Amino acid sequence: MAWERCAARDEVWEGGVLGVDVQGVPLALFNIGGKFYATSNVCTHATALLSDGYVEGDCIECPLHQAQFHVPTGAVRGGPAEKPLKTYPIRVDGADVYVDLGEPTKI
Amino acid sequence: MDTSTINRHWPEEGFTRVPNWVYTDPGIFQREMDELFAGDTWHYVGLACEVPETGNFKRQWIGTRPVVMVRDKTGDINVLENRCAHRQALICWDQAGQVKDFTCPYHQWNYSLDGQLQGMPFKRGALGKGGMPADFDMKAHGLQKLRTTIRGGSVWATYSQSAPSFDEYCGPLILAEIDKIFPADRDVRLLGYMRQLIPANWKTYVENLKDPYHATLLHTFYITFGLWRADNKSSCTPVGSGHSLMVSHNEGKKTSAATPEMARFRAEFELHDMETVKPRQEFKDSRVGGPWIFPAATLGVQANSLQVRHVIPRTPDSFELSFTLFGYADDDEEMQRLRLKQANLIGPAGFVSIDDSEMLKQVQSGAAGYPNRAGVIEMGGRDLEPTDYMVTEVLIRAMWDWYRKKMGL
Repeated sequence: MAWERCAARDEVWEGGVLGVDVQGVPLALFNIGGKFYATSNVCTHATALLSDGYVEGDCIECPLHQAQFHVPTGAVRGGPAEKPLKTYPIRVDGADVYVDLGEPTKI
Repeated sequence: MDTSTINRHWPEEGFTRVPNWVYTDPGIFQREMDELFAGDTWHYVGLACEVPETGNFKRQWIGTRPVVMVRDKTGDINVLENRCAHRQALICWDQAGQVKDFTCPYHQWNYSLDGQLQGMPFKRGALGKGGMPADFDMKAHGLQKLRTTIRGGSVWATYSQSAPSFDEYCGPLILAEIDKIFPADRDVRLLGYMRQLIPANWKTYVENLKDPYHATLLHTFYITFGLWRADNKSSCTPVGSGHSLMVSHNEGKKTSAATPEMARFRAEFELHDMETVKPRQEFKDSRVGGPWIFPAATLGVQANSLQVRHVIPRTPDSFELSFTLFGYADDDEEMQRLRLKQANLIGPAGFVSIDDSEMLKQVQSGAAGYPNRAGVIEMGGRDLEPTDYMVTEVLIRAMWDWYRKKMGL
Protein backbone atom coordinates (compact mmCIF):
# COMPACT_ATOMS: atom_id res chain seq x y z
CA MET A 1 0.00 0.00 0.00
CA ALA A 2 1.29 3.37 -0.93
CA TRP A 3 -0.19 6.74 -1.68
CA GLU A 4 0.74 7.90 -5.15
CA ARG A 5 0.33 11.48 -6.29
CA CYS A 6 -2.10 11.42 -9.18
CA ALA A 7 -3.10 15.02 -9.89
CA ALA A 8 -3.08 18.60 -8.71
CA ARG A 9 -6.18 19.48 -6.73
CA ASP A 10 -7.02 22.29 -9.18
CA GLU A 11 -7.11 19.86 -12.12
CA VAL A 12 -10.06 17.95 -10.69
CA TRP A 13 -12.93 20.35 -11.21
CA GLU A 14 -16.09 20.10 -9.26
CA GLY A 15 -18.70 18.28 -11.32
CA GLY A 16 -16.04 17.09 -13.78
CA VAL A 17 -14.01 13.98 -14.40
CA LEU A 18 -10.27 13.74 -15.05
CA GLY A 19 -8.54 10.77 -16.66
CA VAL A 20 -5.04 10.02 -15.39
CA ASP A 21 -2.57 7.20 -15.63
CA VAL A 22 -0.87 6.06 -12.42
CA GLN A 23 1.74 3.35 -12.77
CA GLY A 24 -0.01 2.11 -15.90
CA VAL A 25 -3.44 2.02 -14.25
CA PRO A 26 -6.04 4.21 -15.98
CA LEU A 27 -8.00 6.12 -13.33
CA ALA A 28 -10.95 8.49 -13.39
CA LEU A 29 -10.85 11.21 -10.72
CA PHE A 30 -13.99 12.99 -9.57
CA ASN A 31 -14.82 15.98 -7.42
CA ILE A 32 -18.43 15.74 -6.39
CA GLY A 33 -19.53 18.59 -4.16
CA GLY A 34 -15.98 19.05 -2.93
CA LYS A 35 -15.49 15.37 -2.13
CA PHE A 36 -12.91 13.48 -4.21
CA TYR A 37 -13.27 9.98 -5.66
CA ALA A 38 -11.15 7.66 -7.83
CA THR A 39 -12.41 4.79 -9.96
CA SER A 40 -11.08 2.71 -12.82
CA ASN A 41 -11.34 4.78 -15.98
CA VAL A 42 -12.39 1.84 -18.19
CA CYS A 43 -16.04 0.92 -18.53
CA THR A 44 -16.79 -2.68 -17.52
CA HIS A 45 -19.09 -3.15 -20.53
CA ALA A 46 -17.08 -2.26 -23.64
CA THR A 47 -13.68 -0.61 -23.95
CA ALA A 48 -14.20 3.11 -23.43
CA LEU A 49 -12.77 5.77 -21.11
CA LEU A 50 -15.22 7.09 -18.55
CA SER A 51 -13.29 10.35 -18.46
CA ASP A 52 -14.82 10.98 -21.91
CA GLY A 53 -18.27 10.52 -20.39
CA TYR A 54 -20.71 12.60 -18.42
CA VAL A 55 -21.03 13.22 -14.70
CA GLU A 56 -24.65 13.25 -13.58
CA GLY A 57 -24.92 14.03 -9.86
CA ASP A 58 -22.89 11.27 -8.21
CA CYS A 59 -22.93 9.00 -11.30
CA ILE A 60 -20.72 8.72 -14.36
CA GLU A 61 -22.24 7.81 -17.74
CA CYS A 62 -20.04 6.03 -20.28
CA PRO A 63 -19.83 7.89 -23.59
CA LEU A 64 -19.97 4.68 -25.65
CA HIS A 65 -23.19 2.90 -24.65
CA GLN A 66 -24.45 4.96 -21.70
CA ALA A 67 -23.66 2.51 -18.91
CA GLN A 68 -24.00 4.38 -15.60
CA PHE A 69 -21.94 3.83 -12.44
CA HIS A 70 -22.30 5.25 -8.95
CA VAL A 71 -18.98 7.04 -8.44
CA PRO A 72 -18.58 6.60 -4.64
CA THR A 73 -19.21 2.83 -4.74
CA GLY A 74 -18.66 1.83 -8.38
CA ALA A 75 -22.09 0.16 -8.45
CA VAL A 76 -23.93 -0.20 -11.78
CA ARG A 77 -26.84 2.23 -11.90
CA GLY A 78 -28.04 1.67 -15.46
CA GLY A 79 -27.29 0.75 -19.04
CA PRO A 80 -25.67 -2.35 -20.45
CA ALA A 81 -22.88 -2.85 -17.85
CA GLU A 82 -23.17 -5.69 -15.37
CA LYS A 83 -19.89 -5.61 -13.46
CA PRO A 84 -19.28 -2.81 -10.94
CA LEU A 85 -16.47 -0.33 -11.40
CA LYS A 86 -13.36 -0.71 -9.24
CA THR A 87 -12.91 2.18 -6.78
CA TYR A 88 -9.73 3.37 -5.07
CA PRO A 89 -8.99 5.21 -1.80
CA ILE A 90 -8.18 8.86 -2.47
CA ARG A 91 -7.00 11.76 -0.30
CA VAL A 92 -6.21 15.44 -0.82
CA ASP A 93 -3.09 16.83 0.80
CA GLY A 94 -2.62 20.56 0.23
CA ALA A 95 -2.53 21.23 -3.51
CA ASP A 96 -2.13 17.57 -4.43
CA VAL A 97 -4.38 14.54 -4.80
CA TYR A 98 -3.12 11.08 -3.83
CA VAL A 99 -4.52 7.65 -4.65
CA ASP A 100 -3.84 4.22 -3.19
CA LEU A 101 -3.69 1.50 -5.86
CA GLY A 102 -3.50 -1.23 -3.24
CA GLU A 103 -1.50 -4.42 -3.74
CA PRO A 104 0.25 -4.60 -7.10
CA THR A 105 -1.43 -7.08 -9.42
CA LYS A 106 0.58 -10.29 -9.62
CA ILE A 107 1.60 -11.12 -13.17
CA MET B 1 -45.80 -5.34 -53.61
CA ASP B 2 -46.88 -3.82 -56.90
CA THR B 3 -47.80 -6.89 -58.90
CA SER B 4 -48.61 -4.97 -62.06
CA THR B 5 -44.96 -5.19 -63.08
CA ILE B 6 -45.22 -8.96 -63.32
CA ASN B 7 -47.22 -9.75 -66.39
CA ARG B 8 -47.12 -13.51 -66.22
CA HIS B 9 -49.68 -16.12 -67.18
CA TRP B 10 -49.61 -19.69 -65.98
CA PRO B 11 -50.21 -22.30 -68.71
CA GLU B 12 -53.85 -23.30 -69.13
CA GLU B 13 -53.19 -26.88 -68.08
CA GLY B 14 -52.70 -25.66 -64.50
CA PHE B 15 -50.58 -27.49 -61.96
CA THR B 16 -49.38 -30.16 -64.39
CA ARG B 17 -47.29 -27.47 -66.09
CA VAL B 18 -44.50 -25.31 -64.67
CA PRO B 19 -43.59 -22.23 -66.70
CA ASN B 20 -39.84 -21.69 -66.78
CA TRP B 21 -40.06 -18.01 -65.81
CA VAL B 22 -40.89 -19.01 -62.22
CA TYR B 23 -37.26 -20.09 -61.93
CA THR B 24 -35.72 -16.96 -63.45
CA ASP B 25 -37.91 -13.84 -63.06
CA PRO B 26 -36.45 -11.38 -60.48
CA GLY B 27 -39.94 -9.94 -59.84
CA ILE B 28 -41.26 -13.41 -59.04
CA PHE B 29 -38.28 -14.01 -56.76
CA GLN B 30 -38.95 -10.79 -54.85
CA ARG B 31 -42.61 -11.65 -54.46
CA GLU B 32 -41.61 -15.07 -53.10
CA MET B 33 -39.37 -13.44 -50.52
CA ASP B 34 -42.23 -11.20 -49.41
CA GLU B 35 -45.15 -13.63 -49.63
CA LEU B 36 -43.61 -17.03 -48.96
CA PHE B 37 -40.74 -16.13 -46.62
CA ALA B 38 -41.91 -12.96 -44.84
CA GLY B 39 -45.61 -13.81 -45.09
CA ASP B 40 -47.85 -16.09 -43.04
CA THR B 41 -45.34 -18.95 -43.04
CA TRP B 42 -43.12 -20.58 -40.40
CA HIS B 43 -39.43 -21.18 -40.97
CA TYR B 44 -36.75 -23.44 -39.60
CA VAL B 45 -34.16 -21.46 -37.67
CA GLY B 46 -32.10 -24.01 -35.78
CA LEU B 47 -31.85 -26.44 -32.92
CA ALA B 48 -32.16 -25.29 -29.31
CA CYS B 49 -29.01 -27.31 -28.55
CA GLU B 50 -27.04 -25.02 -30.86
CA VAL B 51 -27.49 -22.23 -28.31
CA PRO B 52 -27.22 -24.03 -24.95
CA GLU B 53 -25.98 -21.08 -22.84
CA THR B 54 -26.81 -17.42 -22.37
CA GLY B 55 -25.23 -15.41 -25.17
CA ASN B 56 -24.83 -18.38 -27.52
CA PHE B 57 -25.96 -17.37 -30.98
CA LYS B 58 -26.32 -18.87 -34.43
CA ARG B 59 -26.68 -16.85 -37.60
CA GLN B 60 -29.42 -17.89 -40.00
CA TRP B 61 -31.34 -16.72 -43.06
CA ILE B 62 -35.05 -16.78 -43.77
CA GLY B 63 -35.07 -16.47 -47.51
CA THR B 64 -32.84 -13.48 -48.24
CA ARG B 65 -33.50 -12.00 -44.79
CA PRO B 66 -30.65 -12.38 -42.29
CA VAL B 67 -31.56 -13.29 -38.71
CA VAL B 68 -29.75 -14.44 -35.59
CA MET B 69 -30.97 -16.98 -33.04
CA VAL B 70 -29.70 -16.18 -29.55
CA ARG B 71 -30.34 -17.34 -25.99
CA ASP B 72 -30.89 -14.44 -23.62
CA LYS B 73 -30.36 -14.01 -19.87
CA THR B 74 -33.79 -15.40 -19.01
CA GLY B 75 -32.99 -18.60 -20.94
CA ASP B 76 -35.41 -17.75 -23.75
CA ILE B 77 -34.41 -18.20 -27.37
CA ASN B 78 -34.92 -15.08 -29.46
CA VAL B 79 -34.86 -14.85 -33.23
CA LEU B 80 -33.81 -11.31 -34.13
CA GLU B 81 -33.39 -9.54 -37.42
CA ASN B 82 -29.64 -9.39 -38.06
CA ARG B 83 -29.82 -5.75 -39.07
CA CYS B 84 -28.78 -2.67 -37.14
CA ALA B 85 -31.67 -0.27 -36.56
CA HIS B 86 -29.32 2.57 -37.52
CA ARG B 87 -27.66 2.07 -40.91
CA GLN B 88 -29.01 -1.45 -41.60
CA ALA B 89 -25.67 -3.28 -41.45
CA LEU B 90 -25.44 -6.89 -40.29
CA ILE B 91 -24.62 -6.75 -36.58
CA CYS B 92 -23.63 -10.41 -36.35
CA TRP B 93 -21.01 -11.60 -38.82
CA ASP B 94 -20.04 -14.93 -37.28
CA GLN B 95 -21.84 -18.19 -38.01
CA ALA B 96 -22.03 -19.02 -34.30
CA GLY B 97 -20.44 -18.07 -31.01
CA GLN B 98 -21.07 -16.57 -27.61
CA VAL B 99 -21.40 -12.86 -26.76
CA LYS B 100 -22.66 -10.78 -23.86
CA ASP B 101 -24.47 -8.45 -26.23
CA PHE B 102 -24.33 -7.34 -29.88
CA THR B 103 -22.45 -4.29 -31.12
CA CYS B 104 -22.71 -3.11 -34.70
CA PRO B 105 -19.17 -2.54 -35.99
CA TYR B 106 -20.18 0.51 -38.02
CA HIS B 107 -21.11 3.04 -35.27
CA GLN B 108 -21.07 0.68 -32.29
CA TRP B 109 -24.74 0.81 -31.48
CA ASN B 110 -25.15 -1.80 -28.78
CA TYR B 111 -28.05 -4.25 -28.33
CA SER B 112 -28.99 -6.67 -25.57
CA LEU B 113 -29.49 -10.40 -26.22
CA ASP B 114 -33.23 -9.80 -26.57
CA GLY B 115 -32.69 -7.05 -29.11
CA GLN B 116 -33.11 -3.87 -27.05
CA LEU B 117 -30.96 -0.88 -27.98
CA GLN B 118 -28.75 -0.31 -24.95
CA GLY B 119 -26.52 2.54 -25.98
CA MET B 120 -24.54 4.31 -28.66
CA PRO B 121 -21.37 6.40 -28.84
CA PHE B 122 -21.74 10.19 -29.01
CA LYS B 123 -25.31 10.03 -27.82
CA ARG B 124 -24.60 13.43 -26.26
CA GLY B 125 -22.34 14.54 -29.09
CA ALA B 126 -18.74 15.64 -28.71
CA LEU B 127 -17.41 18.74 -26.97
CA GLY B 128 -20.97 19.68 -26.20
CA LYS B 129 -22.06 19.68 -29.84
CA GLY B 130 -24.09 17.25 -31.91
CA GLY B 131 -25.44 14.04 -30.49
CA MET B 132 -28.84 12.42 -30.77
CA PRO B 133 -31.98 14.47 -30.23
CA ALA B 134 -32.95 14.60 -26.55
CA ASP B 135 -36.25 12.88 -27.32
CA PHE B 136 -34.66 10.00 -29.26
CA ASP B 137 -36.57 6.90 -28.15
CA MET B 138 -34.14 4.05 -27.50
CA LYS B 139 -37.03 1.60 -27.02
CA ALA B 140 -38.31 2.21 -30.54
CA HIS B 141 -35.01 1.34 -32.20
CA GLY B 142 -34.14 -2.17 -31.10
CA LEU B 143 -33.53 -5.22 -33.27
CA GLN B 144 -36.83 -6.52 -34.60
CA LYS B 145 -37.85 -9.74 -32.90
CA LEU B 146 -39.61 -12.54 -34.81
CA ARG B 147 -42.44 -14.65 -33.46
CA THR B 148 -40.74 -17.85 -32.33
CA THR B 149 -41.75 -21.34 -31.27
CA ILE B 150 -39.76 -24.31 -30.01
CA ARG B 151 -40.94 -27.81 -30.84
CA GLY B 152 -39.02 -30.62 -29.13
CA GLY B 153 -35.63 -28.99 -29.59
CA SER B 154 -36.26 -27.45 -33.01
CA VAL B 155 -36.69 -23.68 -33.33
CA TRP B 156 -39.06 -22.06 -35.81
CA ALA B 157 -39.95 -18.44 -36.50
CA THR B 158 -42.32 -16.30 -38.53
CA TYR B 159 -42.35 -12.64 -39.50
CA SER B 160 -46.12 -12.65 -39.30
CA GLN B 161 -48.21 -11.76 -36.28
CA SER B 162 -51.32 -13.02 -38.05
CA ALA B 163 -50.00 -16.46 -39.08
CA PRO B 164 -51.66 -19.38 -37.30
CA SER B 165 -49.74 -21.11 -34.50
CA PHE B 166 -46.91 -23.37 -35.62
CA ASP B 167 -48.99 -26.45 -34.71
CA GLU B 168 -51.90 -25.27 -36.77
CA TYR B 169 -49.63 -24.22 -39.62
CA CYS B 170 -48.12 -27.72 -39.84
CA GLY B 171 -51.29 -29.71 -39.32
CA PRO B 172 -51.49 -33.03 -37.45
CA LEU B 173 -49.73 -35.26 -40.01
CA ILE B 174 -46.64 -33.07 -40.38
CA LEU B 175 -46.56 -32.21 -36.69
CA ALA B 176 -46.52 -35.92 -35.80
CA GLU B 177 -43.48 -36.34 -38.06
CA ILE B 178 -41.70 -33.42 -36.41
CA ASP B 179 -42.52 -34.88 -32.97
CA LYS B 180 -41.19 -38.25 -34.04
CA ILE B 181 -37.81 -36.81 -34.97
CA PHE B 182 -37.77 -34.14 -32.24
CA PRO B 183 -39.48 -35.87 -29.29
CA ALA B 184 -40.41 -33.53 -26.45
CA ASP B 185 -38.76 -35.81 -23.88
CA ARG B 186 -35.44 -36.39 -25.66
CA ASP B 187 -32.52 -33.97 -25.89
CA VAL B 188 -31.04 -33.39 -29.33
CA ARG B 189 -27.29 -33.42 -29.94
CA LEU B 190 -25.77 -31.42 -32.79
CA LEU B 191 -23.39 -33.51 -34.92
CA GLY B 192 -22.38 -30.99 -37.58
CA TYR B 193 -23.19 -29.07 -40.72
CA MET B 194 -22.78 -29.35 -44.45
CA ARG B 195 -23.45 -26.34 -46.63
CA GLN B 196 -23.22 -25.67 -50.33
CA LEU B 197 -24.19 -23.08 -52.91
CA ILE B 198 -26.12 -24.50 -55.82
CA PRO B 199 -26.41 -22.46 -59.05
CA ALA B 200 -30.14 -23.04 -59.51
CA ASN B 201 -33.45 -21.57 -58.40
CA TRP B 202 -34.41 -22.69 -54.87
CA LYS B 203 -37.66 -24.28 -56.01
CA THR B 204 -35.81 -26.80 -58.16
CA TYR B 205 -34.58 -28.35 -54.90
CA VAL B 206 -38.03 -28.36 -53.33
CA GLU B 207 -39.27 -30.18 -56.42
CA ASN B 208 -36.31 -32.53 -56.31
CA LEU B 209 -37.14 -33.65 -52.78
CA LYS B 210 -40.83 -33.97 -53.61
CA ASP B 211 -39.97 -36.28 -56.49
CA PRO B 212 -39.15 -39.80 -55.34
CA TYR B 213 -39.11 -41.26 -58.82
CA HIS B 214 -35.92 -39.50 -59.95
CA ALA B 215 -34.10 -41.28 -57.13
CA THR B 216 -34.60 -44.65 -58.81
CA LEU B 217 -33.09 -43.32 -62.05
CA LEU B 218 -30.59 -40.53 -61.34
CA HIS B 219 -28.98 -41.90 -58.18
CA THR B 220 -26.97 -44.88 -59.32
CA PHE B 221 -25.68 -45.38 -55.80
CA TYR B 222 -29.20 -46.17 -54.61
CA ILE B 223 -30.09 -48.35 -57.55
CA THR B 224 -26.92 -50.36 -57.72
CA PHE B 225 -26.98 -51.30 -54.08
CA GLY B 226 -30.71 -51.77 -53.87
CA LEU B 227 -31.41 -48.94 -51.47
CA TRP B 228 -34.20 -47.03 -53.16
CA ARG B 229 -36.12 -48.85 -55.77
CA ALA B 230 -39.33 -48.23 -57.60
CA ASP B 231 -40.83 -51.34 -56.03
CA ASN B 232 -40.02 -50.34 -52.45
CA LYS B 233 -43.05 -49.80 -50.27
CA SER B 234 -43.59 -46.04 -50.40
CA SER B 235 -46.10 -43.31 -49.92
CA CYS B 236 -46.52 -39.73 -51.10
CA THR B 237 -48.95 -37.59 -49.15
CA PRO B 238 -49.61 -34.00 -50.16
CA VAL B 239 -50.89 -31.88 -47.32
CA GLY B 240 -52.63 -28.53 -47.78
CA SER B 241 -50.50 -25.45 -47.16
CA GLY B 242 -47.69 -26.75 -49.35
CA HIS B 243 -46.44 -29.35 -46.89
CA SER B 244 -45.98 -32.97 -47.81
CA LEU B 245 -44.81 -36.31 -46.49
CA MET B 246 -42.78 -38.72 -48.55
CA VAL B 247 -41.59 -42.04 -47.23
CA SER B 248 -39.86 -45.05 -48.72
CA HIS B 249 -39.14 -48.16 -46.72
CA ASN B 250 -35.64 -49.53 -46.93
CA GLU B 251 -36.08 -53.22 -47.60
CA GLY B 252 -32.52 -54.01 -48.60
CA LYS B 253 -31.39 -55.59 -51.81
CA LYS B 254 -33.93 -57.74 -53.56
CA THR B 255 -35.12 -58.80 -56.97
CA SER B 256 -38.72 -58.59 -58.02
CA ALA B 257 -40.90 -58.34 -61.08
CA ALA B 258 -39.95 -54.66 -61.35
CA THR B 259 -36.23 -55.34 -61.51
CA PRO B 260 -35.95 -55.69 -65.31
CA GLU B 261 -37.43 -52.16 -65.63
CA MET B 262 -34.47 -50.71 -63.80
CA ALA B 263 -31.83 -50.91 -66.45
CA ARG B 264 -28.92 -49.98 -64.28
CA PHE B 265 -29.52 -52.42 -61.49
CA ARG B 266 -26.49 -54.70 -61.14
CA ALA B 267 -27.10 -57.73 -59.00
CA GLU B 268 -23.42 -58.67 -59.03
CA PHE B 269 -22.30 -55.38 -57.48
CA GLU B 270 -21.91 -55.46 -53.73
CA LEU B 271 -21.14 -52.61 -51.38
CA HIS B 272 -18.18 -53.81 -49.31
CA ASP B 273 -19.16 -51.81 -46.26
CA MET B 274 -22.92 -52.18 -45.83
CA GLU B 275 -22.72 -50.28 -42.56
CA THR B 276 -22.71 -47.08 -44.63
CA VAL B 277 -26.30 -47.72 -45.64
CA LYS B 278 -27.73 -50.29 -43.24
CA PRO B 279 -29.70 -48.74 -40.41
CA ARG B 280 -29.66 -50.03 -36.89
CA GLN B 281 -33.28 -50.49 -35.83
CA GLU B 282 -34.36 -47.19 -34.31
CA PHE B 283 -37.82 -45.97 -35.12
CA LYS B 284 -40.71 -48.38 -35.46
CA ASP B 285 -40.11 -48.52 -39.21
CA SER B 286 -36.82 -48.23 -41.05
CA ARG B 287 -37.37 -45.81 -43.85
CA VAL B 288 -36.00 -43.00 -45.94
CA GLY B 289 -37.70 -39.66 -46.36
CA GLY B 290 -39.66 -37.32 -44.17
CA PRO B 291 -41.88 -34.25 -44.00
CA TRP B 292 -41.45 -31.13 -46.08
CA ILE B 293 -42.43 -28.04 -44.12
CA PHE B 294 -43.38 -25.34 -46.60
CA PRO B 295 -41.62 -23.43 -47.92
CA ALA B 296 -38.01 -24.26 -47.22
CA ALA B 297 -37.25 -27.03 -44.72
CA THR B 298 -37.40 -30.78 -44.62
CA LEU B 299 -36.55 -33.30 -41.93
CA GLY B 300 -34.70 -36.22 -43.38
CA VAL B 301 -34.07 -39.72 -42.16
CA GLN B 302 -31.49 -41.64 -44.15
CA ALA B 303 -30.84 -44.94 -42.40
CA ASN B 304 -29.73 -43.63 -38.98
CA SER B 305 -28.58 -40.27 -40.29
CA LEU B 306 -30.91 -37.50 -39.17
CA GLN B 307 -30.87 -34.12 -40.87
CA VAL B 308 -32.65 -30.86 -41.29
CA ARG B 309 -32.23 -29.69 -44.85
CA HIS B 310 -32.83 -26.00 -45.14
CA VAL B 311 -33.10 -24.10 -48.40
CA ILE B 312 -31.85 -20.50 -48.39
CA PRO B 313 -32.70 -18.66 -51.62
CA ARG B 314 -29.98 -16.18 -52.59
CA THR B 315 -30.89 -14.93 -56.06
CA PRO B 316 -33.34 -16.19 -58.70
CA ASP B 317 -30.62 -18.52 -59.95
CA SER B 318 -28.79 -19.55 -56.77
CA PHE B 319 -29.56 -20.94 -53.34
CA GLU B 320 -27.68 -22.22 -50.35
CA LEU B 321 -28.46 -25.71 -49.14
CA SER B 322 -27.73 -26.23 -45.49
CA PHE B 323 -27.69 -29.66 -43.82
CA THR B 324 -27.79 -29.75 -40.02
CA LEU B 325 -26.86 -33.23 -38.80
CA PHE B 326 -28.02 -34.32 -35.39
CA GLY B 327 -28.67 -37.22 -33.08
CA TYR B 328 -29.83 -37.51 -29.48
CA ALA B 329 -27.97 -36.79 -26.25
CA ASP B 330 -28.64 -40.35 -25.10
CA ASP B 331 -27.20 -42.01 -28.25
CA ASP B 332 -24.57 -44.64 -27.56
CA GLU B 333 -21.20 -44.35 -29.30
CA GLU B 334 -22.06 -46.81 -32.02
CA MET B 335 -25.24 -44.96 -32.91
CA GLN B 336 -23.40 -41.66 -33.13
CA ARG B 337 -20.80 -43.26 -35.37
CA LEU B 338 -23.52 -44.68 -37.63
CA ARG B 339 -25.30 -41.33 -37.85
CA LEU B 340 -22.10 -39.67 -39.00
CA LYS B 341 -21.04 -42.45 -41.33
CA GLN B 342 -24.42 -42.66 -43.03
CA ALA B 343 -24.37 -38.89 -43.56
CA ASN B 344 -21.88 -39.69 -46.33
CA LEU B 345 -24.87 -40.15 -48.63
CA ILE B 346 -25.80 -36.47 -48.40
CA GLY B 347 -24.12 -33.08 -48.61
CA PRO B 348 -22.01 -31.46 -51.35
CA ALA B 349 -20.00 -34.63 -51.97
CA GLY B 350 -22.60 -37.13 -50.77
CA PHE B 351 -22.81 -40.47 -52.59
CA VAL B 352 -26.39 -39.53 -53.49
CA SER B 353 -26.81 -35.77 -53.06
CA ILE B 354 -23.92 -34.91 -55.36
CA ASP B 355 -26.07 -36.00 -58.33
CA ASP B 356 -28.85 -33.57 -57.42
CA SER B 357 -26.72 -30.45 -57.22
CA GLU B 358 -25.26 -31.18 -60.64
CA MET B 359 -28.69 -31.97 -62.09
CA LEU B 360 -30.33 -28.80 -60.73
CA LYS B 361 -27.66 -26.65 -62.34
CA GLN B 362 -28.58 -28.26 -65.67
CA VAL B 363 -32.29 -27.68 -65.01
CA GLN B 364 -31.60 -23.99 -64.38
CA SER B 365 -29.63 -23.66 -67.61
CA GLY B 366 -32.43 -25.22 -69.63
CA ALA B 367 -35.16 -23.16 -67.98
CA ALA B 368 -33.23 -19.88 -68.16
CA GLY B 369 -32.68 -20.32 -71.89
CA TYR B 370 -36.39 -20.81 -72.55
CA PRO B 371 -38.35 -18.70 -70.03
CA ASN B 372 -41.63 -19.03 -71.95
CA ARG B 373 -41.59 -22.80 -72.22
CA ALA B 374 -43.00 -25.04 -69.53
CA GLY B 375 -42.15 -28.31 -67.83
CA VAL B 376 -44.64 -31.14 -67.63
CA ILE B 377 -45.41 -33.04 -64.42
CA GLU B 378 -47.93 -35.75 -65.20
CA MET B 379 -46.18 -38.83 -63.82
CA GLY B 380 -48.74 -40.68 -61.69
CA GLY B 381 -51.65 -38.74 -63.17
CA ARG B 382 -53.01 -35.20 -63.22
CA ASP B 383 -54.47 -35.13 -59.76
CA LEU B 384 -53.45 -34.30 -56.19
CA GLU B 385 -54.43 -37.55 -54.48
CA PRO B 386 -52.08 -39.30 -52.03
CA THR B 387 -50.36 -42.40 -53.39
CA ASP B 388 -48.96 -45.62 -51.96
CA TYR B 389 -46.28 -45.78 -54.64
CA MET B 390 -43.31 -43.62 -55.61
CA VAL B 391 -43.52 -43.40 -59.38
CA THR B 392 -45.46 -40.18 -59.13
CA GLU B 393 -45.02 -36.43 -59.20
CA VAL B 394 -48.11 -35.74 -57.13
CA LEU B 395 -46.18 -33.84 -54.47
CA ILE B 396 -44.74 -31.47 -57.06
CA ARG B 397 -48.19 -30.85 -58.52
CA ALA B 398 -49.55 -30.14 -55.05
CA MET B 399 -46.70 -27.74 -54.36
CA TRP B 400 -47.40 -25.73 -57.50
CA ASP B 401 -51.12 -25.73 -56.76
CA TRP B 402 -50.40 -24.13 -53.37
CA TYR B 403 -47.70 -21.86 -54.76
CA ARG B 404 -50.02 -20.40 -57.37
CA LYS B 405 -52.61 -19.58 -54.70
CA LYS B 406 -50.06 -17.92 -52.42
CA MET B 407 -48.41 -16.02 -55.23
CA GLY B 408 -51.57 -15.04 -57.08
CA LEU B 409 -50.33 -16.60 -60.32
